[in-house]
Amino acid sequence: MVNTNTLSIRYLKTIGIVNNGFNGRGFANPYDVAFGPNEEIFVLNRCDPARRSAIRVGVCNLDEEYLYEFGYGFGNEDGQMTLPVAMAFDAEGRLLITDEHTNRVNIYSNKGDVIGKWGTKGDSEGEFNGPAGIAVDSTGLVYVCDQRNHRIQKYTPEGKFLSQWGIRGSGQSEFNLPWGIGVDISDNVYVADWRNDRVQKFDSGGQYLETIGDSGEGRLNRPSGVSVDKNGNIYVTDWGNERLQVFDSSGKAILSMRGEATLSDWAKDFFESNPDEMETREISNLNPGIPNHLNTPYHVSSQTESYFWGPVSVRIDNNNRLYVVESNRHRIQIYEIE
Amino acid sequence: MSKDVSLMAHLMRRAGFGATRNELEGYLSDGYEATVDNLLDPGESGHMPDDIIRRYHVDQSELRQLDGAGAYWLYRMLTTSNPLEEKLALFWHGLFATGYAKLNQARSLLNQIDMFRHYGFGSFRDLLVELSKDPAMILWLDNNENHKEAINENYGRELLELFSMGIGNYSEDDIKECAKAFTGWTLGNAEYMSVRASKDSIWPYGRIAWHYEYRADDHDGGEKRFLGEVGNFNGEDIVDIIVTQEATARFLSTRLFQYFASDEVDSNGELVISEMMEAYFQSEYKVSAVLRSLFNSGYFKSDKCMYSRVKGPVESVVGTVRLAGTYQEPTLDVHALWAQTMFMGQGLLAPPTVEGWHEGVEWIDSGSLVERINFAAKELSDPTKDGVKDIIRRVTSSQKDLSDPEKLVDSCLDYMGPIQVEADTREGLIEFAESQGAVQTQDGQPDESGSLQVARLIGMIASTREYQLA
Repeated sequence: MVNTNTLSIRYLKTIGIVNNGFNGRGFANPYDVAFGPNEEIFVLNRCDPARRSAIRVGVCNLDEEYLYEFGYGFGNEDGQMTLPVAMAFDAEGRLLITDEHTNRVNIYSNKGDVIGKWGTKGDSEGEFNGPAGIAVDSTGLVYVCDQRNHRIQKYTPEGKFLSQWGIRGSGQSEFNLPWGIGVDISDNVYVADWRNDRVQKFDSGGQYLETIGDSGEGRLNRPSGVSVDKNGNIYVTDWGNERLQVFDSSGKAILSMRGEATLSDWAKDFFESNPDEMETREISNLNPGIPNHLNTPYHVSSQTESYFWGPVSVRIDNNNRLYVVESNRHRIQIYEIE
Repeated sequence: MSKDVSLMAHLMRRAGFGATRNELEGYLSDGYEATVDNLLDPGESGHMPDDIIRRYHVDQSELRQLDGAGAYWLYRMLTTSNPLEEKLALFWHGLFATGYAKLNQARSLLNQIDMFRHYGFGSFRDLLVELSKDPAMILWLDNNENHKEAINENYGRELLELFSMGIGNYSEDDIKECAKAFTGWTLGNAEYMSVRASKDSIWPYGRIAWHYEYRADDHDGGEKRFLGEVGNFNGEDIVDIIVTQEATARFLSTRLFQYFASDEVDSNGELVISEMMEAYFQSEYKVSAVLRSLFNSGYFKSDKCMYSRVKGPVESVVGTVRLAGTYQEPTLDVHALWAQTMFMGQGLLAPPTVEGWHEGVEWIDSGSLVERINFAAKELSDPTKDGVKDIIRRVTSSQKDLSDPEKLVDSCLDYMGPIQVEADTREGLIEFAESQGAVQTQDGQPDESGSLQVARLIGMIASTREYQLA
């Protein structure tokens, strides 16, 4: 349990195991998570080049039952994906997935049926250059980080362009390769302004409100994802610092976490079948001291299994559980917000 | 062709991966010796930022597998502002050859390459100490199995034979004593990491990168006799003795000479090597001093030294791509580029054995030669690529008469290097230029078809024997 004056976070569990194959239980460089009906957890697997034909969404639940998966291979045909980044359910329960290579938002049913798509490459209204984070507000409107156009685009639930804001830069309402995006209960919009090392907050019309994490305690380094709980606390996957950084609703840094992953049920199954690995693991120190020349967050996380490594997304489910998706560790660490 | 330009191009083929004319102009404004100094002490180098690479390529963030790690290093070579840093790291990678096949640990291999960047220009003593602590090397040569009660001489033997002195300069007893001194130099969590490496296990959560650990309780602290000296030597003491040996100075200088100057060592080369050895001792074993001595030698600057080396596959691929001006941003194609180095016989991070690659003319066989020619010709015959565009622009703006095939060939050779070719090669290129007809122009400048004609000639030059030489 981690407590601050205003917030308690309790580690719950870890779900995941690296999936070295082309289907089945486990994750392959997961990039985002979304929450479907019946408490199903949808996990977007970006997949490395060796497994790119298996780009897919895997569906499991909190009890670590692997339920089903869907994917249509690597490419730009309908339903296919090349470099998927993020996903969100829309107001109709359809799953929207961005693809930064094909410059599309793909639309699937929650069972994986291909429903449609929108987007094409360009810098005009409704066009994309590297769509990344995606979020849906309480009215069903959709926000997309248009990464290499350095702007946010807002769409109707049907994918019709509504408005946009932002240009390349480092001032207010300017962006540099924005990645993740989230909305709060008032439909304010939070953007992980990745290469500006900050989160920017806007109202739903794109009016600038404030900047978070650009200085002092909690200073961000290449933030990848952002979510906001019902009390207004802001959770940021601080990708460059390999941590989860939490701010209160005023933007004050209140908590920083490196992660505390444990063995998932799937991992325990693996060790039951591979006792030689478990025996040697049990006599190991998995939180070692690191030589000075490797003392960077990235290297430390590469050598410390329980820490976040490659945290690319943070999302909160309807039960106030927090999910941190780790691309490099092929797992999701889950926490309860109290 | 200016002699200064030609000499600077020679330096950059050896101390780097070749240079564009734009880069050469920058180096020329600094002058030769200042350029050598800058190459040897460049400060922080510019290159494609890690965060940009890691965001785009999940595999190059995780660095679990060989292809992603190889591609990651290629990006660095393709975009670095200090090519010697990467060229020297590539040299150490060949000399202290450590390969993925046994380790199954790409991240730790790249950590080793980082170590080469950090220590590669400095004291050879420090480099050998770091090498002995390098986790990838420890597992590669079984020093994790080198125990106080039961030594494993693998690392001790190769340290003397392949890494520092060369065979014939030590005894079998020296090897044993050396191995004893390195007992206790092992990996953190050695047992678990060894099991994972032997099974190529990535479960449950991917690789755990390795780190060095010294186990005093597993170190043989007893007296040792090594190369005529006696003491309770630990590994660092052994390295201290090694670096004072003349054989070490000769070994290092010769290997650097063969890599940076000439595949073959003749009597003139022997004199240069003697000067390099002198620099080694005078500088207290500094690699940069040894290289400075080489690059500033008359031999290195002589016509005899030019084009006396066969480019290695990685040199060839990286040099061609840098000339073409491509891969400046992350692209899915980079994996195919890494695969090219494999097809040509030099898979990065995958040397065939601890002896590294057999270099020189052994790089070339009928299969690898076809790969080289096809790759270079394809990369450089595309007029839409920025580097090719620049060569075409320079060629066409320097030539008033684009209908003269001889002038066209000479100008292309100039701006692609300069590249010197044999007379019969030049004749062949002129014939090719003639067969294409006069370069088609509009308002004195090549139109789309004309640009393609020049680009095809550039691609043809990249297909010549001379293009394969550095």
